[in-house]
Amino acid sequence: TAGNRIFHFGACKVSMSTAEIRAGFTAIKANIQSRDPIRTLSILSHPHSLHKVKSPDRCCITHHLFNFYVDKVFKHCTTEDSFVNRKISSIANSFLSVRRKLGQCHEQNNCVCGEESMEKYKQILANYEGLNVTSAAMKSLGELDILLDWME
Amino acid sequence: SGELYCSLPNPRNVRFESVNMKNVLRWSAPEGTGDGVLYKVKYSVYGVGKWIRKPECRNINRTWCDLSSETSDHEEQYYASVKAFLDGMCSDWVETTRFNPLTDTKIDPPMVSVSSTDKSISIILAPPEKWKRSPEEESISLLQVYPGLQYNVAVLNKKTKKRWFFSISNNTLVVPWLEPGTAYCVSAQIHVTTPLLDSGFSKEHCIATLKEK
Repeated sequence: TAGNRIFHFGACKVSMSTAEIRAGFTAIKANIQSRDPIRTLSILSHPHSLHKVKSPDRCCITHHLFNFYVDKVFKHCTTEDSFVNRKISSIANSFLSVRRKLGQCHEQNNCVCGEESMEKYKQILANYEGLNVTSAAMKSLGELDILLDWME
Repeated sequence: SGELYCSLPNPRNVRFESVNMKNVLRWSAPEGTGDGVLYKVKYSVYGVGKWIRKPECRNINRTWCDLSSETSDHEEQYYASVKAFLDGMCSDWVETTRFNPLTDTKIDPPMVSVSSTDKSISIILAPPEKWKRSPEEESISLLQVYPGLQYNVAVLNKKTKKRWFFSISNNTLVVPWLEPGTAYCVSAQIHVTTPLLDSGFSKEHCIATLKEK
C-alpha cells in the first residue's frame, strides 16, 4: 500500500504503512483523547518510556504491543460515532496484517524476548489492568501516537 | 485567606501553538471582561501525576505563556491549564487538549541558497533548527528529529513561466540543461511523511544563469 516502509527490528524486517495508520489516528485523535479524562496515568509511556527499550528488544516489544492492541484494545473501542468507528476498524485491520508479519518473525526466532522487554510489557499490562476495560482500551487507543512515534 | 468564589467566566480557546517546537500556550480573555484580568498557568507531563506551576506566568495580564523549556522533551506529551482572576473572583482551570510536540508542531520553510553557471543552477537547502533555550545551547536540526524529512522544490523559468517540481531527500539539487542568461526562481518546502508534517513554501530566491561564453 502507499507509504509502505520496511521496519528493521534486529533480524526481523516488516513492511508496513505507518503513514496510513497515523492518518487514521490523526483524524480521530482529539475525539478519542477527549474520552480519556485520566491525565495522570499512561499505559505505554510511564513509569518507563518506550524510548528506553534497547534495540535488541524492539522486535519483541513491538510484537507484543501489536498483539496487545489487536487482542485487548480495538475490540473494546466502540463509540457512538460511525466515522470514528470506521477509522478504528481501519487501524485495527492495519494492525492485524502487521501482527501477522511480526508473528512470522517470532516463529522464525528473529524476535527474541529478553528479560527487559518482558518486564516492560508486564508494566504495560499492569497499567492496562489498573483501569476498567473500556477506559483502559480508550486510553490505549489514545496513545497510538506514542507507539508510532517510538516505532518511527 | 478568603476562599475565592470562582464565578468569573473561563479563559477561552486555551491551546498550544508550536513552531519548530517553540511551544507557546495561548488563550483568549474570558468573555465580557475588560482590562485588569490576571492569569496563572500550570502544566503537566501526560502520565505523571502532578501539575507544575510556571512562576514566570503567575499573575500575568498577557494571554500567552512560553512553555518551550518545560515541554522540550519531544518524547513526552503534555497538558497545560490557565486560570483567570479579576476583582477577587476567579475562573475555573481550563485545560488544553493533550499536546504532542512531535506531531503538533508546525515547521518553518527551509533556508534556500542558490548559485548558477551558464546552464545550471545549484540549490542548497537547510531545515530550521529545533527551538533551544539559549544561543549557546547546542543546535538540533529538525532533520535529527524527523529522519524522514524531505524537500519539495519548485523551479520557475521567469521568461517562459514554465515550472518544475522536484522531491529530494538530501539537501542539494542541481538543475541542468537550463537556458543561459535567463532568470530562474526557486522556492522549497519541507515534507515529513510520518508524522505527516508540511511546511509552507519558502519565499522565492531568484538568480540568472550566466550568459553564454
